[in-house]
Amino acid sequence: MSHLRITITLFVLLVATGITHAAANNVSFEQGMGFDHARRLPEAVAAFKKSALAQPAAGTLVNLGIAEWQCGHAGEAILAWEQARWIDPFDSRAKSNLKFARAAAKVDEPQLKWFEVASLWLPPDAWVWLAGTSLCLTVGALTLPRFFRWRKTGWQQALAAVGLGIFLTSMTTNIGVVSRTTLGFVLKRNAPLLLTPTHTGEMISTLNAGESARWLRTRGDYNLIRTANGAGWIARDEFGLVNK
Amino acid sequence: MLVGKSSRFIVTVSILFSLVALLEGYAQTPPQISAQVAAQMIMRPQPAVDSSQLEAVSAKVEFDPPTVSLGQKSFYRVTINATENSIHWPNEICLPPELLPGLTARGQLTQPDGVPFHPLTEFIYSVTPTAAGRHTVSNYLVSVGGSSVEIPSADLEVVAATTNLPSPRILALELSATNVFLGQPFRVQVLLPAGAGNQIEALRDIQLSGGGLMIDKTALSQSIDVANINGQLKQSFICELKVTPIAMGPQEFFAQGFTAGREFSGPITMHGQLTIPGGPAKYVLLVSEPVKINVRPLPIDSEPPGFTGTMGTFFSDPPQLSTNRLHLGEPIHLKIMFHGKGDLTRFVAPAPPRSHDWQIIADYPPNTGFTLIPQTDETQSTPAIPFSGFDPIAGKYYDLSIPPLPVTVIGEGLPTELPTFDDDGKSTVPVKLSNLAPLPGKTATSLKPLQLQGWFVCLQLVPIIGFIALWRWDNRRRFLEAHPEIVRRRQALRALRRERLKLQKALDAGDADAFVRHAADALCIAVAPHYPANPQALVCADVLAQLDGKEQNGHHGETVRKIFAAADTRFGISMQTQPDLPALQADVETLLRMLEEKL
Repeated sequence: MSHLRITITLFVLLVATGITHAAANNVSFEQGMGFDHARRLPEAVAAFKKSALAQPAAGTLVNLGIAEWQCGHAGEAILAWEQARWIDPFDSRAKSNLKFARAAAKVDEPQLKWFEVASLWLPPDAWVWLAGTSLCLTVGALTLPRFFRWRKTGWQQALAAVGLGIFLTSMTTNIGVVSRTTLGFVLKRNAPLLLTPTHTGEMISTLNAGESARWLRTRGDYNLIRTANGAGWIARDEFGLVNK
Repeated sequence: MLVGKSSRFIVTVSILFSLVALLEGYAQTPPQISAQVAAQMIMRPQPAVDSSQLEAVSAKVEFDPPTVSLGQKSFYRVTINATENSIHWPNEICLPPELLPGLTARGQLTQPDGVPFHPLTEFIYSVTPTAAGRHTVSNYLVSVGGSSVEIPSADLEVVAATTNLPSPRILALELSATNVFLGQPFRVQVLLPAGAGNQIEALRDIQLSGGGLMIDKTALSQSIDVANINGQLKQSFICELKVTPIAMGPQEFFAQGFTAGREFSGPITMHGQLTIPGGPAKYVLLVSEPVKINVRPLPIDSEPPGFTGTMGTFFSDPPQLSTNRLHLGEPIHLKIMFHGKGDLTRFVAPAPPRSHDWQIIADYPPNTGFTLIPQTDETQSTPAIPFSGFDPIAGKYYDLSIPPLPVTVIGEGLPTELPTFDDDGKSTVPVKLSNLAPLPGKTATSLKPLQLQGWFVCLQLVPIIGFIALWRWDNRRRFLEAHPEIVRRRQALRALRRERLKLQKALDAGDADAFVRHAADALCIAVAPHYPANPQALVCADVLAQLDGKEQNGHHGETVRKIFAAADTRFGISMQTQPDLPALQADVETLLRMLEEKL
């Protein structure tokens, strides 16, 4: 009896914490909306950032991107919209704003491989659940009749085949999701791409805000990235990854 | 022969081209050659290569001076009309033991001899005699350009008496400092005192020996003036060089140069009465006495940021910005003027710092300003530019950093609407930004995908473990189906354990009927797997059959019969007497243990 009480208490506490947390996020979100309507853009950026940090949400990140764009921060805006699309690939606002921003800032869309493009059809977490479920379904359809001495039927075989097909498809998209985690965007305008990860490193070229690049590794305060024009080092605060 | 008329006023003579005056100012400006003169020098036809000299290489040897008193220095001098590189000069020459060797030097020059130029190389050895008499350095062979050339013998006459014999001509060295810091430039004067008849000769190909020194030949100046040499005021040819030590610790060096008659090269300032010899020059390699300096390292511990190697006393005017209100991406110029006392050649302009907010481009030297381009409209000041110098007199670093200056950067903003380019107003690109999202929308616990989260990977182990457990269970089940005796034995053991408990309860309660009934059941259970049969279907004979022959008729057999006889009385009409429970309990226990072991 006492165990049941403890479990119920913990459950209630957990739910209450979640509700409080969500309420706090909503407050930050509403504050951001208010600041944006009042054209107090830096405050709106701060409020949306706070809300997104506490609970990443597609709508919050869309609004953060709009506020950043209005502040003149193209790199941060494009990153926020890409993060919104990461959470919800069907978010029309994020998709539309990204097209608009890239046309206005004259930067190209990131070059994605075919399995990365396929991974955009569903949210990243959905793919991994789909892979896990389809694998269990396949293995279960093949093994459970034997274990429980059910009569083998055609539908079980069909279910296993379908499950295997879904699993193999979702594995490629899962690879695409993992591969997309290395995608990042230049935050600052004319960010220098350096030959060495040092303060006095020789500059190879400068990058536009919002330009996409692939993260290779980190050393100290610098990230090694590969852009369309070659690899080089960039300061960590001048480059943002989509999934961080 | 030119003779000066007065020593009161300064006569400035340009031997080759014109009269040049020394520039005055804070810094000594090196002699500049105009572009026109430089072009003329480059365009001058070069002398033809005289290959005939290779076939007529000869060597001349002498002691300078040929007669010295005991202990007086003389120079063993070998002159060969070939290039220095073509001569395989021995590392050591065989000197008489009475001659103590001193410093050695070698030098090469090309002497004008009509149209072609002839090379001339001299080797000199300073020797000090320790005994009077005639000392001879015998002849020997030296390879010059692949052929052997004989170096003739030479004699040095050493007299014992301290007669007033002429001393060899040597150069004098005067240093502006002898205890310097690494990289601190100092002046070196190479002096050639006037010879007999107060004749002044020029010096050519002046060099300083020693690897720890760097000579700035662009800052070379020549003059003829009265100099104090060993306490005597003498008219001298003075060549001033700027030298920078590049190695730490004690450094010893000497100067060497060829006398060149009246072949003064470049501008020269002459003071006082002097005689310049006429006729062709006589090229003689002279050396100075070695001098020592001590080179100290710069203090590393206290080196401030922005030290570029600037050495000397410098100060700067307040920095000036071309404007303090600018647009994003608009360049502005930061003007900084530095002044110094004395030598300005060791001024190294500050390096442009790296800033996230500014692109910084240094002006082309000798200018010391910066062009600054703001990269963000969030910055409110120019970047601080660290800079420092080292004062060798005080032996301390001092700060020359350029402080940040307040500026206002106006951001240009980004468009929120784009014009449509096609005629029908259709475009694949949205023409404006979307409205704000009214709700947070779809949420995520983290932007980090589940695929990369450790707990999720661990979660994948659960179904794997489940499937493995199912597989093991199925295997076990199939095994037991193939071996039912194992199941029966296990069931018998479990049932036996239960009957034992009931036996113990009956014993504790003193219930003899229950005891014998459970004892009989227990015995049947214990032997049932051997048939196999249901325990309830077994009788006394079945239990006895599982005992050995001896035991069937022995005590154990008797016990079994007693128990079954007592148990069977419940089916009889009249009650039998109660058995001795404690005695029977021990026998039953022994019997059950024995049967259990057989399972």
